[in-house]
Amino acid sequence: MFETYIKDYNEAVFEIDKELALEIIETALKDGVTPEQVVFDIIIPSIEEMMAEISINADTNLAQHFMTAQIAAEITEKMLAKFESPPEIIGRVIIGTSYGDLHSLGKRIVMGCLKSMMVDVVDLGVNVKAETFVDAAVAQDAQIIAISSMMVHTATGEEGSLKVRSLLKERGLEDKIKLVVGGAPYRFDHELYNKVGADSWAADGVTAAKIIRELILEGKS
Amino acid sequence: MTPLEILSATISGQASPRVPVFCNLLDQGAKLLNIPPKQYFANGEYVADAQLKMLQHYGHDNVWSAHYVGKEAQLLGCKDILFADNGVPNVADFVIKSWDDIATFEIPEDITQQPTWQAMDDCLKILSSEVGATHPICAYVTGSTTLPAILMGMDKWMELVLIGPVELRDELVRKCSLFVQQQLKAYRAAGANVIIYANPFGSTYFIPKKRIVDWSMPWMQEDLKQGTGSIVYYGGMAPINSVIEMVIDKLKVNIFYPAPEDDIRESMRLINGKGLTSGVLDDIKMIHWTEQQTRDEVKRIMTLGKTGGHFLFGTGFMPLKLPEENIIAMLDAAFKYGRY
Repeated sequence: MFETYIKDYNEAVFEIDKELALEIIETALKDGVTPEQVVFDIIIPSIEEMMAEISINADTNLAQHFMTAQIAAEITEKMLAKFESPPEIIGRVIIGTSYGDLHSLGKRIVMGCLKSMMVDVVDLGVNVKAETFVDAAVAQDAQIIAISSMMVHTATGEEGSLKVRSLLKERGLEDKIKLVVGGAPYRFDHELYNKVGADSWAADGVTAAKIIRELILEGKS
Repeated sequence: MTPLEILSATISGQASPRVPVFCNLLDQGAKLLNIPPKQYFANGEYVADAQLKMLQHYGHDNVWSAHYVGKEAQLLGCKDILFADNGVPNVADFVIKSWDDIATFEIPEDITQQPTWQAMDDCLKILSSEVGATHPICAYVTGSTTLPAILMGMDKWMELVLIGPVELRDELVRKCSLFVQQQLKAYRAAGANVIIYANPFGSTYFIPKKRIVDWSMPWMQEDLKQGTGSIVYYGGMAPINSVIEMVIDKLKVNIFYPAPEDDIRESMRLINGKGLTSGVLDDIKMIHWTEQQTRDEVKRIMTLGKTGGHFLFGTGFMPLKLPEENIIAMLDAAFKYGRY
């Protein structure tokens, strides 16, 4: 039964048809599917299918990634309010754009997917200082700092990921907190994440959510 | 032949001694003159001076007007740009803060009367008088289906495009298209002879092809209805190979500036001698290349591209972090391997 919902829901998201995607979830609820099953058996597997699709099909586009995240986040938020008991959160991420960078699209995609996958996300917004990222990660007991940069100078600048890495090292936090980066410059140079001191990177927002979740789970094991 | 003659010959498929070599040096000018970027870009004479000095120093083929993308937002009322000493200026004040602002958002009657235009005009007049007869002078215009992204933020624009009210979306694009048409006219009048028409929403990296056909393409046709002369189709570093045939057919534009990840052979096959395509070097990777790696990549691009003619060598928007020796190695290799 869930396979059909997942298939129909993902087709709607791929066609960027939000109305239809919401209708499919409504139908599932009417058919007796619980809010918990909607999230864990439809939404999360759907995002996972989208993640798999992106890795094999280069023709997916930003609009589809955006819709995947937005619709999933919206439905999850609605369903969470109806859960019988609060769900278990798998981990916490501190997210923001690098210092000097005001572009928030990528961050929004990552956040939407993570929230639906039961990852707690603390959004520091745009133009975030390195110290603020690290202080927030410590204060919020986060496992991941995720930094989005749209421009070369904000990705590679001394005040961005490089400084976060150096602060993590200075404060002895490197084993506890992992650094993930994403954004346009990393798409052009796949080794750039290494040069800015990050532990990992992703070419798009949906894949970033996948990598972040894997890093959290790795840390737990 | 002059660089401008080489470019014209390349477009029309006539014989020329070498491949045209475009090197897009924008932010480097402020550094060269040792002037803070905010003051540098506000003064067209500074920009023209730096462009001419860089042309003399590096010997590439093209110069640029006083451009950064935020200038378009400023012409439309943006009051704050975040300048950086180490990179590209950012729009820090969105003209459209909520969907309600779209109804009252207006395009200036004549953008050439805007204070922000003055620097552009001053720069282009100097460049035009100094090298207008010999060199390509580039200007940059963002397409109407992408322009709202710098007026309201990319995520808010994406939301309006995908799930917002269609009438509101198109009201904004209609206004933006009028602005695009004004800009094109003003740039041509001021002496720009190569206009980069940048439209990521005309790339399948951003939206599905069907949306480009049904929505973006008609607006692009509206943007360019005064003529497509000197227009270069550019996806803003997003791949464009998948739309090249459609652009030639529907938009009648036949000069393309693909992304580094677009396959050069495929671009050439699609254009099939009907225009010009470019092999664009990944200048973000070049930051960390050695001189030899830089030369090897230029050689690869030239080897692929120059066999069919109708081919230009180009860069992205050269990050400030690029080592000087790599810029020199790139241009040296481009002239060496680009010779016919």
